[in-house]
Amino acid sequence: MMPLFANILTEPVGVAHYLVVGAVLFVCGALCMATKRNAIGVLLGIELVLNGANLNFIAFGSRYLRDSQGTIGLDGQLMSLFVIVLAAAEAAVALAIALNFYNSFSSIDVDQADQLQG
Amino acid sequence: MFEFANPAVFLTWLVFLPAVVALVIAFLPLRGETIKWISLATTVVVFLMSLSMIFGWGSVKFQTGEEFAGMQNLFAIDWIPSFGIQYLMATDGISFPLIVLTAFLCVLAMGASWPIKKHEKAYCVLYLLLETGMLGVFCALDFFLFYVFWEVMLLPMYFLIGIWGGPRKEYAAIKFFLYTLFGSVLMLIAILMLYFNSDLRQLPADQLVATGVVSPHLEESVRQERVQNILNSDAPQHTFNILAMQYMGQHTDLFTTPNWLGQSLQWWAFVLLGIGFIIKVPSVPIHTWLPDAHVEAPTPISMILAGILLKMGGYGIIRICYPICPQAGFDLAYVVCAVGVVSMVYGAFAAMAQTDFKRLVAYSSVSHMGYVVLGLGVWSAVAGNDFNPEYWEMGMNGAMFQMIAHGISSAGMFFIVGVVYDRVHHRNLNEFGGLFAKMPVYSGLAVGIFFAALGLPGLCGFIGEVLVVLSVWNFSVALAVISAAVVILTAGYILWAVQRVYLGPEYKGPHGEALTPITFREFSIAAPLLAFAIYFGVNPQALLNYMTPSVNKTVVELTEWAKDNPSVTQSQQPATVATPIRPQIES
Amino acid sequence: MDNLPTLLMIAWLLPLASFAVICIGYSVPQLLGLRVRYSTQKIASYIAVGAIVFGFLISAYCLFGIWLPEHPLAASSHHGEEQPDELAGQASPFRPTAFAEEHSEEGHKHATNGPPLYQAGDWYTLARFGSLKLTIGYYIDTLTIAMFCMVTLIASCIHIYAVGYMHDELHDVTDHEVTLSNGEHLHRRGRFQRFFQYFSLFSFSMLGICISGNLAMTFVFWELVGICSYFLIGFYIERHSASTAANKAFIVNRVGDFGMIIGLMALWSTLGTFSFGDVDKADGTKERGMFSMLHEQSNGYELAPTQRMIDFDASRQSEGSEPTNGQWLLFVAGVGIFCGCMGKSAQFPLHTWLPDAMEGPTPVSALVHSATMVAAGVFLVGRVYPIFTPEALLVIAVIGCITLFLAATIAITAVDIKRVLAYSTVSQLGFMMLALGLGGWVAGLFHLITHAFFKSLLFLCSGSVIHAVHSNDMRQMGGLRHKMPITAYTMLIGCLAIAGIGIPFVLGFSGFHSKDVIVEQAIHFGQTNGGYSWLFVVVPLAGALMTSFYMFRLWYMTFAGKPRDHHRYNHAHESPWVMAGPLVLLAVFAIGVGWTLPMQMPGVLSRLGVENLLDTARPVGQLGNKHGVLLPNLVIPDEHASHVAAVKIPAGWSAILVAVAGIAGATVVYLWEVISAASLRRYLNLLYHATWNKWWFDELYDFVFVRPTLAISRFIAFALDRGLIDSILHSFAWIYRGLAAVVAIVGDRWLIDNSVDTVAEKTWDLGLTLRSVQTGQLRQYVMFIVVCTIALFIVATLWWRFAVAG
Repeated sequence: MMPLFANILTEPVGVAHYLVVGAVLFVCGALCMATKRNAIGVLLGIELVLNGANLNFIAFGSRYLRDSQGTIGLDGQLMSLFVIVLAAAEAAVALAIALNFYNSFSSIDVDQADQLQG
Repeated sequence: MFEFANPAVFLTWLVFLPAVVALVIAFLPLRGETIKWISLATTVVVFLMSLSMIFGWGSVKFQTGEEFAGMQNLFAIDWIPSFGIQYLMATDGISFPLIVLTAFLCVLAMGASWPIKKHEKAYCVLYLLLETGMLGVFCALDFFLFYVFWEVMLLPMYFLIGIWGGPRKEYAAIKFFLYTLFGSVLMLIAILMLYFNSDLRQLPADQLVATGVVSPHLEESVRQERVQNILNSDAPQHTFNILAMQYMGQHTDLFTTPNWLGQSLQWWAFVLLGIGFIIKVPSVPIHTWLPDAHVEAPTPISMILAGILLKMGGYGIIRICYPICPQAGFDLAYVVCAVGVVSMVYGAFAAMAQTDFKRLVAYSSVSHMGYVVLGLGVWSAVAGNDFNPEYWEMGMNGAMFQMIAHGISSAGMFFIVGVVYDRVHHRNLNEFGGLFAKMPVYSGLAVGIFFAALGLPGLCGFIGEVLVVLSVWNFSVALAVISAAVVILTAGYILWAVQRVYLGPEYKGPHGEALTPITFREFSIAAPLLAFAIYFGVNPQALLNYMTPSVNKTVVELTEWAKDNPSVTQSQQPATVATPIRPQIES
Repeated sequence: MDNLPTLLMIAWLLPLASFAVICIGYSVPQLLGLRVRYSTQKIASYIAVGAIVFGFLISAYCLFGIWLPEHPLAASSHHGEEQPDELAGQASPFRPTAFAEEHSEEGHKHATNGPPLYQAGDWYTLARFGSLKLTIGYYIDTLTIAMFCMVTLIASCIHIYAVGYMHDELHDVTDHEVTLSNGEHLHRRGRFQRFFQYFSLFSFSMLGICISGNLAMTFVFWELVGICSYFLIGFYIERHSASTAANKAFIVNRVGDFGMIIGLMALWSTLGTFSFGDVDKADGTKERGMFSMLHEQSNGYELAPTQRMIDFDASRQSEGSEPTNGQWLLFVAGVGIFCGCMGKSAQFPLHTWLPDAMEGPTPVSALVHSATMVAAGVFLVGRVYPIFTPEALLVIAVIGCITLFLAATIAITAVDIKRVLAYSTVSQLGFMMLALGLGGWVAGLFHLITHAFFKSLLFLCSGSVIHAVHSNDMRQMGGLRHKMPITAYTMLIGCLAIAGIGIPFVLGFSGFHSKDVIVEQAIHFGQTNGGYSWLFVVVPLAGALMTSFYMFRLWYMTFAGKPRDHHRYNHAHESPWVMAGPLVLLAVFAIGVGWTLPMQMPGVLSRLGVENLLDTARPVGQLGNKHGVLLPNLVIPDEHASHVAAVKIPAGWSAILVAVAGIAGATVVYLWEVISAASLRRYLNLLYHATWNKWWFDELYDFVFVRPTLAISRFIAFALDRGLIDSILHSFAWIYRGLAAVVAIVGDRWLIDNSVDTVAEKTWDLGLTLRSVQTGQLRQYVMFIVVCTIALFIVATLWWRFAVAG
């Protein structure tokens, strides 16, 4: 295991590089969720976050990127597929919510949806 | 489940049949008379079962005779083995007459319950539960089981007084309950004291089987193994077995260890148990629950209360107090006797001042139960140091007889009072009179039953009183003289009451028109009581045959204990020559 | 001989059967709601009369057909000589030797008699504990049979008489003595059969006392006669006075029984048996009875406490006091049993119930309260005579003496005819007790038998008078002998008999003979003891004087002179033969029952006489002088020695003199009216008031016993029971409730509730505070999530770093 903050630019491409990309995607998604007032935008952020996570799974699961030989390298991809399916389902539900939301408020500004406030 | 030849099955059914029927009644949609008929039938069946033990109709028979002085029909089943608690029941000459009396009075009192119209189902259910509790107390020989039954009996009584009673029923019920509960708490303490000091390892192997600690019905090999397990164990083997405790009390030093304030363990146990039982008897000064409970309770419950519940105190003293704590019994004999004598005098005086008919009868119970306590208490066997148990046997048998006799006469008296109360709804002695003319048969029965209580020869009260009183002189002349004086007071209050109620030209109180002759139902309750009062008065052997062997066994064992006990022999004066009291001469 | 117990048992049980038949036979219809017709009620009297008459026939057969042929009187009377002489001088080991010496100085021959002939056995065991037994048995000696004959004969007469007397009860009755609240007199059904029901029960109980083989059985029947007496006195249950008198009789008797129980306990605890005689057992041996235990043959039949009594006495002895060797115990036992007799025989101080008992119908007074039940006390003293120490006998004598005098004085001024007779009965019973107490065993019981006849006669006569004039008050009578001659002259016979009229040393009415022997014994006692003991002579003589005075006063006031109340006089009539017949029969006995048939008669009749008969029953150890131990100077003289001329002549003359003097006095005052009764009354004002008010005994007892008892009972019932004990109890309850309130308020509300509330409040506040975080802004939530995740990550990392790994 390399040190936590080793210089990734000097290292050969390994898991860490993928992780960095995944982290960037994740942070972008999270920022998108936190800043967009448009519900669709928020959904887009969610997708980004999910894909960031997917990237991590694949990186960890890849037989080419790992030292251990005890796996055929499909477990990470399997998880990713699950996530993708989940994301699709989620998108469907979320779009339906958005649609209903729009029917109620004539807007998809999530800031208006503060009925749950304490 | 129905092998009645097995004492375990038989006694269990005898005790629990009323409870089972109570459960059934509780969950069936019955109402009114039907419930009463079912309850009556149940009590009759229980009574017939108890009779079947006398006559040997079934295979479980109660044997009489010297060789059957010990426990009969004993069975023991482990209940909570980790605490040595058993489901242990048996009968002997002390408990058996009381069982039959209980079953008998329950039939009559159920008959007397007919006028009760309020919440009939609840009444019958509680009544039957009460019967189970009472029968259980007399059958149980495991202290824990005994205590459970003791409490089971208490609660229905509380409700029966508190719901179906008179104007001050709540007060009376609470008073009864608290008094008795106080007594049972003391009892519980004593039970636990004894339990934690008991040790089965000190019993010989044959006693372990005889007392039912190891069930005698087990196979020989299993029995031997269990006995050896007990005898060879390292830790003390505690027990709740009353019979085993009796043996420990009389033959070992387990209960004689100094305990508290310089008194031995058994001294304290005796005092605690004694108070518990004497509350039930009840004796002065812890008797005041009785008049209130009686006055407020409905007639049948008064009959049960006076006829059976009071006997449990006496039963406890003779079964538990003395055999388990002989040393304390010996030391406190005078106290016990004095309590008895004081009750006799006090109750008689108090009865004389009453204007409430039922209260008068209640106080007469206090007075009459004083004879029981006195008779149980006379340790006359050790008087004069000749260890002749005969006078004490007479006293104890007299006390036992008095219990049965009082069960008959007091139940009868309460019923007699109930009959007029049902008609005119008051009990003021000064507002009666002239009932002889209006209700001749009733008055005849009433006078008969009152004279049984008065101790008239030929009626049952006489035998018990005379046996007790005659046995006292050897124990204490002073107590004997005082107890003899009670006959005057008894005659006084009973005759005065009879005069005020039955004699005289006319009825002085309200509702005179309601004084109709007694019904067949009422007659068939009072007449058996009077018949038994006469029968036992004329033929006391009929009863004594059953109780004498067991009572004598208790007395002889205690006398043997006293003879071997240095503290007793030294407390007496230097031995005088013991003379055979009845030398035989050739004709 | 062997069937004697069985025969007597039949005679004894017949009245019980009669009682049972009447009781059940007449209760069943009542139970069924029917009314018994009067003609049916009458059958009850036939049953009862039949039973008792048959009982008499059996008793008479037992006496004349069995007992006398077996034990002819000629052979067994008047002797103590059967005793071997060597026992004579032998002093009892329990008697201080000083007396034995005194004896020999006086030259007294010290021999006493053995037990009389008797049969004893047990029929039935009531209870048995080891060797202790309470049994129903028999003890049959001459006294038993004599009592049987006397009781059944008199009872038969009175039963028959009662058929006539109680005739009123065969109709609906209007009781003029009872006024209802609406001012009318009481109307009720007649109760003819009930009277005979009680009478039968009484006869059974009384015969039970007579045949009783042990003290326990005696006590049983003692109580039973008491209760019969209660029922019979209170026969008119509607009359308050009657039921009160019945209560009084029973309760006063119970006072006596209290003493009796003490006596029983003392004997029972030290002898272990109640049997009088030695009881035959099935295996041919004998169980020893009380008498043979106390009068050992080896002691020459002298009274001596048993070893167990001596032990008992010693174990109860306080330090330093003189040992009494069981004498005290024996004394207590004797006096205790005598207390019972005192109650039953209405002896001072328990005499007050008997006059009140006259509330019952007159046949009851005749049977129960003069002839039999009240005599049972005397009988019992006679029966248990062997257990009485000389000191106890002295007590008996003193009580008898006081009683006979007191009662006689009261009888002089009484105006109720039955009360005069009642006091006379008390007085005569005093005579009997006196005789027994002075050692005159035969004298006392002889008087018992003669008295039974003439007193029942007197009562029946008075009943006949009352039946005729419907009043008890002698002041409303007078001159009745013209209207009812049979009653008048039979009553005169009774009066002469009770007064003791006769020709000295030749022949007289029955009372003459029996009173004579009493006076003889008294004079002998006086001669033996000297000093104050002469009071025992003077007082009975004074009593005898008063007896003849008041009896003739009664007769004159009732039958002689002019009628005082013409209305009543005109309605008076002689009673029917069913009543008069028994009077005549009893009159014959009142004349002749004291006689002894001449020697020359053949067979069993030779020397036949009640006195001789009784002499064969003299209990063990009663001949010869008996010396007191606790009172060393007391001597109870030998009864046989009382018949010597030195005693007999003064006794005979003084007795007849006082009797004649009494009659003369009564004649002067009440027949000739030379001295008017009114002026006498004025002269003896104080005395008159005392006797008129019965010496204030009722008031005294009311004040000393009844009221305090009621006060104590009220005190106990209300002050002690409800006041003290219940108050303590209630105060416990209040304390408990107070404590509970304190716990509830302070503990529960303040401490526990407050703290719990505080926690809740704080939680609430915290919630309020935190709610502002919950804005509902989605984007904010995301920010929170991100920030918190990062924060958690940092915390976890640091924690890992420094806490776990470090």
